[in-house]
Parts: sequence; structure tokens; C-alpha cells
Amino acid sequence: MRRAVHPVVRYPPWTRLRNGVYTYGRHCAETSVPVLTIASSKGGPGKTTVAMLIAGRLAADGLRVVALDADPSLAFSRWAHNAYEGPPFTARAEADETQLAHLIDTESQMADLVLVDTAGFGNLSANVAMTSADAVLVPALSGEADITEAEKTIRLVAGLARAARRDIPARVLLNRVRRTQLARHAADEIAAAGLPRLDATFSDLVAFGEISHSGRIPTHGAAAEELARLLDELVVLGWVPSRQGVLT
Amino acid sequence: MKPPLKPRTRPSPADAVRIASEAAPHHPPARLATADRSLPFNTRLRVSTLAAIEARARADGATLKQVICRALAEAGIAVAPADLEDGTPRRRAA
Repeated sequence: MRRAVHPVVRYPPWTRLRNGVYTYGRHCAETSVPVLTIASSKGGPGKTTVAMLIAGRLAADGLRVVALDADPSLAFSRWAHNAYEGPPFTARAEADETQLAHLIDTESQMADLVLVDTAGFGNLSANVAMTSADAVLVPALSGEADITEAEKTIRLVAGLARAARRDIPARVLLNRVRRTQLARHAADEIAAAGLPRLDATFSDLVAFGEISHSGRIPTHGAAAEELARLLDELVVLGWVPSRQGVLT
Repeated sequence: MKPPLKPRTRPSPADAVRIASEAAPHHPPARLATADRSLPFNTRLRVSTLAAIEARARADGATLKQVICRALAEAGIAVAPADLEDGTPRRRAA
């Protein structure tokens, strides 16, 4: 009778996670899984669209993405379950701050990236998502109100980071940019306020607006190039894993 | 005085909620709690089971619902306090 062949185990099958829990799997104590929160205390700057683009693009790159929808409007969840066409990722809706905190903690031990989309007003769930984040992305349009609220959000992240005694980097992503004097003025205002900003921007492209209906992430054209530029910058910052799932 | 060293680890869920609440105490929950309204719950029981519950209710001066909900609460089920009260309409109780 032939003996069963067991796979070679190259690491202890049990590992101790940072919270002291022992688990089975590929994770090790040194694993650093990015939790990227997309937040702004103003509604309408494109948080959910940015979350859709990042989740869909990274899932296509083969990463295990978990997207948590902390916005009670459930716009992201509806899109993920009803419209999205692409490689699968996990989407869960949770607007309760306590449940969300536990969900981030649990999912960050299993996924390559935990992405949290938040509601566009000051609320406890968004604060929890920012406190638990490794980085916060703050989309903003070029208007005065957007820049003011982006500044408030960046300051709030700084306060949460101080309270949590950890570094939580945050940067503004200028969204729906038109190559106009207004956009240049907005960039100058952000610089004058001392707000950190990503070099990448999203233009006011129809392709970005279409994904909420089509469920398809742009794979060619200007939209795809801008999305690639954003992800390249996030990889360099260490905010999202690279294609191989290893932080650079 | 030297500033405290910053831990790299993510705060525990309980700490995250505490920090988030303390940093912006004026921020509301993302979703307001909905009213805990009541719904009908019907089930079929054997005559003997029902008789036993009725006997206990009579002995305790309670309603059938109170007897069941008290037992559930003692078993660790999160029974709403309102369901432990005698909700019999006054005109029927009189």
C-alpha cells in the first residue's frame, strides 16, 4: 500500500499574529498588510469612484483585495455586487464603527490590501477607518469647499495619528482636474496650506464616470494611464502592495 | 521630556473606536440606530409544552411571552428589556 505523500512545509504551519492570536496560514508576524482608507469630510469628491478604480485594478493584478464599504449609502457595495465586471474581490458593507474596527482587524490579517470607502461627512466610522489605516487618501475637487474639507480631513488624520501614537500618512488626490487656471489655483492653494498631495491626478474623464454604470475598469486610453500612474505612486509610497504582493 | 516612541502596530479594534470617539466627540455614527420595533413571532408547540408554560405563567403572575423571554434572557440571549415587560393592554388586563 502506497503511503500518502505530504507536501513539504517550509514554514511552521502556525504563526503568531501581532495581536497575539495563533493562526494557520501563510502569514508571519512581520507581515505588513496595508489598510488604505479613502476619506473626506465632504461629499462628492469621488471617494467611491477612486475606491472602485483601485479595487478593480489591483484585483486584476492578482492581489487579494478586501473592500469595506463604511458609507451607509452602500454605493460601493451595490456597484461591487451588481455592476462590477472583472476579477473578483471581496466587498463588505459595514457602517457601524465597532463592527468596522473588528472587520478591519480581521481582514487585514488575510488580505493583500484592505480598502475602506467612507461616508462624506464627519462620522465615527470614518474616524475608526482612518485610525486603523496605514495611509489615508483624500480625494478633492478644485473648488474652495473641497480644499477646505480636505484640509480638515488631513488635520483630523494628524490628530488621530497623535492619539494612536503612530504614523498615518495622508495625501490629497486632486480629482476631476481640468487643465485650467482653476486647477492650477487649487494645486497652489493645497501647497499654500501645507497639505501633502499626490503627484498623480485624475482628469475629468468620461471613462471614470462610466464605471459606476459599466462596472468595467479602464484598461486603455488616458483613464487607464492615469490610474496606472496613481497606483505606481501608491506602490512607491508603500500604500498598496506591488503586483507580486510585496511591499516595495 | 522625550516624546513617547510610536508603535508601528495598528491599534486594537477597541482602541481604534476609543481614539476615534475621543478625537472628534461631536462626530455622529455613520448610521443612526433604527428604532427597535416589534414584529410578530408565531410558532407551533405541543399541547404539553404550552400547558407547562401556562402553568408557570399563572404561578408567576406573568404572561406567556414573559416566561419565554425570561428563560431566553437567562440562557444568555440578548432579549430587549421591553420584551421582559408585561405588555398586556390595560383594558384586557383589568
